[in-house]
Amino acid sequence: MAIQARVWTLPRSIGIRRRLAFGQIILHIGLLLLSLAVLLPVLWAVSSSLKGPDELYQAVPSLFVRQPTLANYQYMLTRMGNVPIYMRNSFIVSLGTVAVVCLTASLAGYAFARMEFRGRDLIFTLLLLSFFIPQSGGLMALYELMSFLKLRNSLIGLILLFSSSLTVPIFIMRQTFLNIPRELEESARIDGASWWQVFRHIAVPLGAPGVVVVAIITFVRVWGDFLVTLTMIDKDNLMTISIGVRKAATTGISAFFAGSQFTGKFATYGADAALYLMAIVPVVLLWVLLQKWFIRGLAEGVLKL
Amino acid sequence: MEGTTVLTEQREPIVRAFLRHARAIRRERWGNLWGYVFIAPALLLYLTFNAWPVVRGLCMAFTDYRFLIRGSEWSFNGLQNYHEMFFRDRVFWHAFAVSLKYTMMTFPVQLVLSLLVALMISSITRQGVAAFYRIIVYLPVVLPISVAMLLWQQLYHYQFGYINYLLKAVFHVSQPPNWLGDVRWALPAIATAGVWKSFGGDTLLFLIGLYGINRELYEAAAIDGANAWQRFWNITLPLLRPILVLIIALNAGIASATQEMLILTNGGPQNATLTLGLYGYQLAFQQGDLRLGYAASIYLLLGVIHMVLAGLVFKFFRTERY
Repeated sequence: MAIQARVWTLPRSIGIRRRLAFGQIILHIGLLLLSLAVLLPVLWAVSSSLKGPDELYQAVPSLFVRQPTLANYQYMLTRMGNVPIYMRNSFIVSLGTVAVVCLTASLAGYAFARMEFRGRDLIFTLLLLSFFIPQSGGLMALYELMSFLKLRNSLIGLILLFSSSLTVPIFIMRQTFLNIPRELEESARIDGASWWQVFRHIAVPLGAPGVVVVAIITFVRVWGDFLVTLTMIDKDNLMTISIGVRKAATTGISAFFAGSQFTGKFATYGADAALYLMAIVPVVLLWVLLQKWFIRGLAEGVLKL
Repeated sequence: MEGTTVLTEQREPIVRAFLRHARAIRRERWGNLWGYVFIAPALLLYLTFNAWPVVRGLCMAFTDYRFLIRGSEWSFNGLQNYHEMFFRDRVFWHAFAVSLKYTMMTFPVQLVLSLLVALMISSITRQGVAAFYRIIVYLPVVLPISVAMLLWQQLYHYQFGYINYLLKAVFHVSQPPNWLGDVRWALPAIATAGVWKSFGGDTLLFLIGLYGINRELYEAAAIDGANAWQRFWNITLPLLRPILVLIIALNAGIASATQEMLILTNGGPQNATLTLGLYGYQLAFQQGDLRLGYAASIYLLLGVIHMVLAGLVFKFFRTERY
């Protein structure tokens, strides 16, 4: 019966497949063009960063580089303000926040998932609900708060501030811990392990995927933050790269190498491009290498909330 | 000290019984106290740097708080901020119009584009290739917003930018616009960059929804002779509705766009890109005696608008079936 059915439908399915194949080619062409368009700003930066002054400022510039040079990168690293310091600050703040968020969110997520105490569900619900309250006046109030606590112009201050966005991380960690089997933890408890030991030696290793998701989304969020960092940091040697790029791109002009015929805003066009590329390398690498975790974070964090 | 020890030794059974009783009561009333210890660090951070600013911002929106004027922190002035906004502040209405224009430019484009791209990617049969396109489409979302905007600044540059090069060399336009410096072109130029930066997020959300739709439905519909458009209209769209509603509600926040303009033009040329969000930011952190109070009231208005819009979307477009 089954075989007969297959034989009967065979010619038709071939027809469909052929049509599908044609459709797939159209799809691929469309998507390839779109991908090119999406990548254009980055590709243009790659090309600009590898060009020497002659190629950069010629009448008809091209996306392709004829004589690639690394001079722009050298200039960017040595003579454009405090670029290496900006990068270091960005790593300190991002990794610091990741550490604090992972620790606090998994502790809280574990408590919300496994421990029974008065007001647990109420606190958790309030936490989730507050996610939907617009944080509109928050920036002004934060400015006042951070000034009051003397935490403006401080990397520690930034870390604490960024670590406080805990709603999504706690939610993800709670989901993670709810999904791991209970029995292991319970038998450990019966054997006399403390809550901390159970958390540290059983729950965290089993919930590691959740921790990775939280770490990635936090890193990208903090690395890319602009508005909050800009309002909290005035001192040049404390700037992160996301606000530093703008400053460096404009100071590069004044420090422009002598003897060139090009002056004004875009004298450092190529070096700017090199700077932008360096600033995005960490997040791009994270995204390209770990995209599955990302999508999981998005699906768990945004859609289930 | 000695006395207590003696006492304890003497009356040990009673004291112990009392302690056990107290512990049982505590357990009954408060449950596992370790729970509080575990949530304490998170709660402390959250309350200090997240909850408090929201509450304080709400209060601030009804004061004439100027950061550089001492003692004005709690100078409540009722609804005066809103009176000033609506009846005396011309710039406010200008910025309101710019925000509206910006939203009209980005919102529909972003929605349609992300849905279209998601449909295309979900129709790709080979998983590896689909993953490749997903990576590219979402790439702009993970970039820092400042760098993303500065990359576009380079593209838009009047002399050396790639866009004007294309216009001049390929399409033979003799006088290409100075994109970010032109009153007419600055806002559309920023809108393009804005959509580029964020449409990938919506695409990914749509994709998650599309991958969740049962393939057999399409096969059944195809056997019944439904064409591609009918399948989209009668299967995809209804089943995608919850995600569509979510995305529309999330995008209602485009109206408060601030950072794009702050990075690229800071409102110029001639205030052509001064959105409400940016206006608030300038009032609070760039101008005069830093009017945090008035800025907070503008942000409160934006927040209320966003909440109302999102609420309306959920009320009217949500279905009970899914």
